[in-house]
Amino acid sequence: MPNTDTPAGRFGEVVLPHLGDALALARWLTGSSDDAEDVVQDACLKAYAGISTYAGGSARAWLLAIVRNCSYSWLARNRPRSLVMAGDLADLDGLAGNEGHDDATPEAALIAKSDAAALAGAISGLPHAFREVVVLRDINGLSYREIATMLCLPIGTVMSRLSRARALLIAELGDVK
Amino acid sequence: MIKPGTISTDPPDIRLLLHALADGELDAATALALERRLASDPALAAEYARIVALRTSFQTMPLQQPSPQLLARIEDLAQARTPAATPVRRKEQSFDWRALAASILVTAFLASSATYWATQGPAPQGFASEIAGSHRRSLLASSAVDVASSDRHTVKPWLDARIGVSPPAVDLSADGYALVGGRVEVIDGKPVPALVYQLRKHLITLVAIPQDQAMPRPGAPDLSAGGFPIVQWSDGTFSYWAVSDIGRDELQQFADRFRAATTPAAAPK
Repeated sequence: MPNTDTPAGRFGEVVLPHLGDALALARWLTGSSDDAEDVVQDACLKAYAGISTYAGGSARAWLLAIVRNCSYSWLARNRPRSLVMAGDLADLDGLAGNEGHDDATPEAALIAKSDAAALAGAISGLPHAFREVVVLRDINGLSYREIATMLCLPIGTVMSRLSRARALLIAELGDVK
Repeated sequence: MIKPGTISTDPPDIRLLLHALADGELDAATALALERRLASDPALAAEYARIVALRTSFQTMPLQQPSPQLLARIEDLAQARTPAATPVRRKEQSFDWRALAASILVTAFLASSATYWATQGPAPQGFASEIAGSHRRSLLASSAVDVASSDRHTVKPWLDARIGVSPPAVDLSADGYALVGGRVEVIDGKPVPALVYQLRKHLITLVAIPQDQAMPRPGAPDLSAGGFPIVQWSDGTFSYWAVSDIGRDELQQFADRFRAATTPAAAPK
């Protein structure tokens, strides 16, 4: 990546290309596109102020970590009820991996056919801890290791949350109406 | 973490590996071993097919693109802060004359820009009273507008030809605000476009100041001058100042309608 001298130049190189991803993450964490713009603007302010702390590596992961923090600060301020408490998180991780499929498993074809709206609805219904992992992986395209670093979690926890989140999505989308 | 070439037979573990395989996170040896397992285990293969199907489904979901307004706000943010936000990183030193020189320069810069701001930047209240004054004059003049037309396609080009800027002259007649026309105002020594709308018998002057000019920061929410309420907002391109002799609530309503009408036009979804 070519180095630019001014913070504004660096900001343009590091942050601006990933605004779409930043918006997507903020949209799924806050639950609304309008709020996402506010959160992303706030995150960009912070990213701009902290551009000197960006030490190479994945610019996208760096920006998304800021967006995630801003999203949760925003949620804590504006939608305190929607946040999951820490105690619940441990319970969720305990559940992860215990998901067993019975005989009435949904067909892959049915899931692949599901439209964007159905998928969006299913994602919105996930608990926060699962939602952020699946969004970071399947929408933002981060690697397991990047997600683990960002969330300060062991990679095994990331994998089990992802598996659990997808199992919930599959069950929701495969549910024949 | 995962030993290459061997795979766990523990059901929860193997499920995690299925996801890792779909995500391309497995090394070749583990992937090979897992693919052999898949070939011999139809239940596992079905589970894998569902995971892949879900990932396909994700790919069809459109990624939201930043709206032009958000992009403009964020680019402004970078530009506006450039002079002050230069990070200074230096090795530990007991005294560095460069630091002293730099701090003198920064102080001089800040002091001179503060002085510039104080002397050149119009005070919000002075600005508001100029706008209220222009509105009052327009009510007393023989015509409140320089170009009288209810057709926005007439008003906009006229303003553009006169002063080279034209704000969005939206048609709000459905909401009861008829476009009367436009005129050129001189605010703070500069020509700026003004639109005139009519609500019942009352005129509303909407002054639109391009944002690249020196602007007072948005004033108090209950801004008023010369007895007229003033509602101020900006959309990144223009700073709008609406003034009228109608009540503040009604003026706010007008502002909201105008805002709503200009927003989607700028960001076609």
